[in-house]
Amino acid sequence: MNKKYDRVIVAAIAVFLGLIAGAVIILILKRNPISAYYSLLRGCGLAPKVKYAGGKNMLSDFSSFLDYMTPMLFAALAVVVAFKTGLFNIGVSGQMLVGSFLATILIGYSNIPSVLAKPLVIIIAAAGGGLIGGLIGYLKYRFNINEVVSSIMLNYTASYIIGFLINTRYVDPVSRQSRDIGANARLTLHQISIGSYKYDIPLGFILALVAIVAVKILLDKTVLGFEIKCVGANREAARYSGIKVGSSMVISMLISGVLSGIAGAVCYLGYISTIQPKVLSPTGFDAIAVCLVGGSSPVGILFSTFFLMIISKGSTYMSSQMGLEAEIASVITGLILLTSACSAFILERIKMIRRKRGAGE
Amino acid sequence: MDSEYIVEMRNITKRFPGIVANSDVTIRIKKGEIYALLGENGAGKSTLMSILFGMYEPDEGEILIRGKREKINSPSRATELNIGMVHQHFKLVSNYTITENIIMGQEPRGRFLGFLPCIDIKRADREIADLSRKYNLEVTPTDIISDINVSTRQRVEILKMLYRDAEILIFDEPTAVLTPQEIDALLDIISGLRDSGKTIILISHKLDEIKRIADRCAILRRGRLIAVLDVKSTDTKEMANLMVGREVSFRTEKKETGFGETVLEIDKLTIHNSDEFPVVRNVSFKIREGEILAIAGVSGNGQVEIAHAIAGLMKVHSGDIRLYGKSIRNMSIRERTEAGIAYIPEDRQEMGLVLDFNLKDNLALKRYYRDSFARKGIRNNTYLDECGRSIIDKYDVRCAASTETIVRSMSGGNQQKAIIGREIELGGVLTIFVQPTRGLDIGAIERVHKQIIEERDKGKAVLLISLELDEVMNLADTIAVIYSGEIDRIAPAKELTTREVGEYMMGVGVHDKAGEVV
Repeated sequence: MNKKYDRVIVAAIAVFLGLIAGAVIILILKRNPISAYYSLLRGCGLAPKVKYAGGKNMLSDFSSFLDYMTPMLFAALAVVVAFKTGLFNIGVSGQMLVGSFLATILIGYSNIPSVLAKPLVIIIAAAGGGLIGGLIGYLKYRFNINEVVSSIMLNYTASYIIGFLINTRYVDPVSRQSRDIGANARLTLHQISIGSYKYDIPLGFILALVAIVAVKILLDKTVLGFEIKCVGANREAARYSGIKVGSSMVISMLISGVLSGIAGAVCYLGYISTIQPKVLSPTGFDAIAVCLVGGSSPVGILFSTFFLMIISKGSTYMSSQMGLEAEIASVITGLILLTSACSAFILERIKMIRRKRGAGE
Repeated sequence: MDSEYIVEMRNITKRFPGIVANSDVTIRIKKGEIYALLGENGAGKSTLMSILFGMYEPDEGEILIRGKREKINSPSRATELNIGMVHQHFKLVSNYTITENIIMGQEPRGRFLGFLPCIDIKRADREIADLSRKYNLEVTPTDIISDINVSTRQRVEILKMLYRDAEILIFDEPTAVLTPQEIDALLDIISGLRDSGKTIILISHKLDEIKRIADRCAILRRGRLIAVLDVKSTDTKEMANLMVGREVSFRTEKKETGFGETVLEIDKLTIHNSDEFPVVRNVSFKIREGEILAIAGVSGNGQVEIAHAIAGLMKVHSGDIRLYGKSIRNMSIRERTEAGIAYIPEDRQEMGLVLDFNLKDNLALKRYYRDSFARKGIRNNTYLDECGRSIIDKYDVRCAASTETIVRSMSGGNQQKAIIGREIELGGVLTIFVQPTRGLDIGAIERVHKQIIEERDKGKAVLLISLELDEVMNLADTIAVIYSGEIDRIAPAKELTTREVGEYMMGVGVHDKAGEVV
């Protein structure tokens, strides 16, 4: 009967079915699915590799993995918050770009000492993302413009304007990307030597955990969170109870945009240190899938991000070890999404089995 | 020999969770007659016809069409049996032409360039034009639905049935959306259809229409068949009495009280709906402390809009709403709650409750932001729980997991108890009840009636909007009768008889307003 418990079981079943389906494909390619899946874990520092390159060990692989998944945590959290108000923030990528671009040009190329620069990067990126997210919410509230349409359009607008600015002002002539930001502003401590090993330490990961707890508290404990959820659950009842539906939507999109902006910072000023012009990060779109698998709950996305990022990050190692294409990882992820999308069906099946058992007794 | 009856529905019983919609109903319809189904809202007319049209299957009973037993398990099966239905809400694709809407699913095929299969739209246009001439249903087949008015759309729906060779035509409250002139035209059309050999079943609660065109009339009340009458030899008053069914009335104890100060004053209120149509016109009334004012009327005559406007959910077009002499016209919904307006809405599940939230949150839906419920924006779970528990106990809300029960899992009656409890506990000065007992069982109805009286005895002003005439007569101190957005009669309850109120509700009162409506 416990609803929360059900949701976890359903998610687990969905993921399991997806993995089985993936295993079938790997079998068809005449490889051992168990060792393929194991190599995914090895690629993320969750299982020991046979041998390591110089300066690498399992822990350094793991810290790189955390670095890799940090942007997704924020992006998925952004989708969750909007989703609770019944809005679909498909513009996470654009918000990431705007936030991180502002942080790059204002702080990334400056000589501000790092204790000041790093917090400023986060604040500026959050403000930039929040601005765009809030704008989408405002357009919805004031002119009833569908948020999906406005956020897709703003994605392109942001991408092209920023692409233009990078190409004309901030471009690195060799890489054709924006110039690298300084280490003072970077949110990942890149290739730090401890002993004889080198680590990438993602400062943003800790912030992501804080953000997850904060969003959980916001949604579960605060008046604002109650209003946001109420608008999402039944807009008519929310209006009847006196909640200002429009401003709740603007606030929730603003928060979503802030989280997207930070996702941008930990991606473009953390995991990597440049912005490629006219390319939208796939993280913003994958975040919708991660949110779905995580049951659109803040804690749920911690697990779904962790899990799906293993597949994505570990694919390089799997492909080199197993001779499987790295794209197989995307196929597996796709299959898991497909089975997760059937979660309502799985839940019904569980209930039916229970009913039958109940009737049999 | 063929049976005398084209449609026979024998001993039909249909149950929905918590309610019996039809109980052992038997009707027999002759070929070529207009058979009316009369009854109040929720009497089971639409359910019965939905069964005939294959949208529901009956729990018990059987259906005979042309003397043959049939199992009608889908609307397409009903169409095969030449049964057609015009629903209250039209089912048309608004950016398609009239022809396209009519032929949808049964398109005449042609060959483009002699070999490519395509729809022969020209032939279809011609067929529709012929059909519309034959039955006097003027339409231009090439018009787009969104460009034509409501009565033309209805004609399209009728043509849709005729195009499918329907012999038995069901009309579900066809005049509810029409103006008086359009009603006249429609009734002529329906008579014409009968004269050309069709059998008509007309669902209605408008007596004058039934009197004008129907041959026989079955009266349903609370899911049961009360009588089948020959319309010619029965007068409308007798029909009204049977439909409302006074003998089931149960008196609620009510002691006399004096009225206090004026609490609510509605002054020349006009409300437009989203189509800019004035659904409430120039309505004025007052409610004093300790007074129950009931607005009686047939569904859809503007009473819900009045309640919405007072609660702030609908915009006022002109006129004013005053609470203790102070205009609340421009106040937000929450400011009005704070000013002391409690509102029990008609639509419990879509408006009154958030079904996926637990009971605790729903019971605090109007107060969750207040100081004791939240400190500095953080919700006080303990207090929410305490407060929820006290309402559950006081109002006897039955729920599986106390304050943690998800409201969706509760029965309709208990959902209503929760809403009433929540609103009364707001401790306001004005309580608005809209259809408070719809769908409830007798015991629950009595309880709600007592609560309404208690509110009045506490010195609050009560606005009761109900479609149940019994309820209005039993509870009200003052009765206002609304018909097509206007208050036709307002008087102390003592001065009005049920019959009089019923007549005003049907618009067959002292004056005929057909001429003055635009």
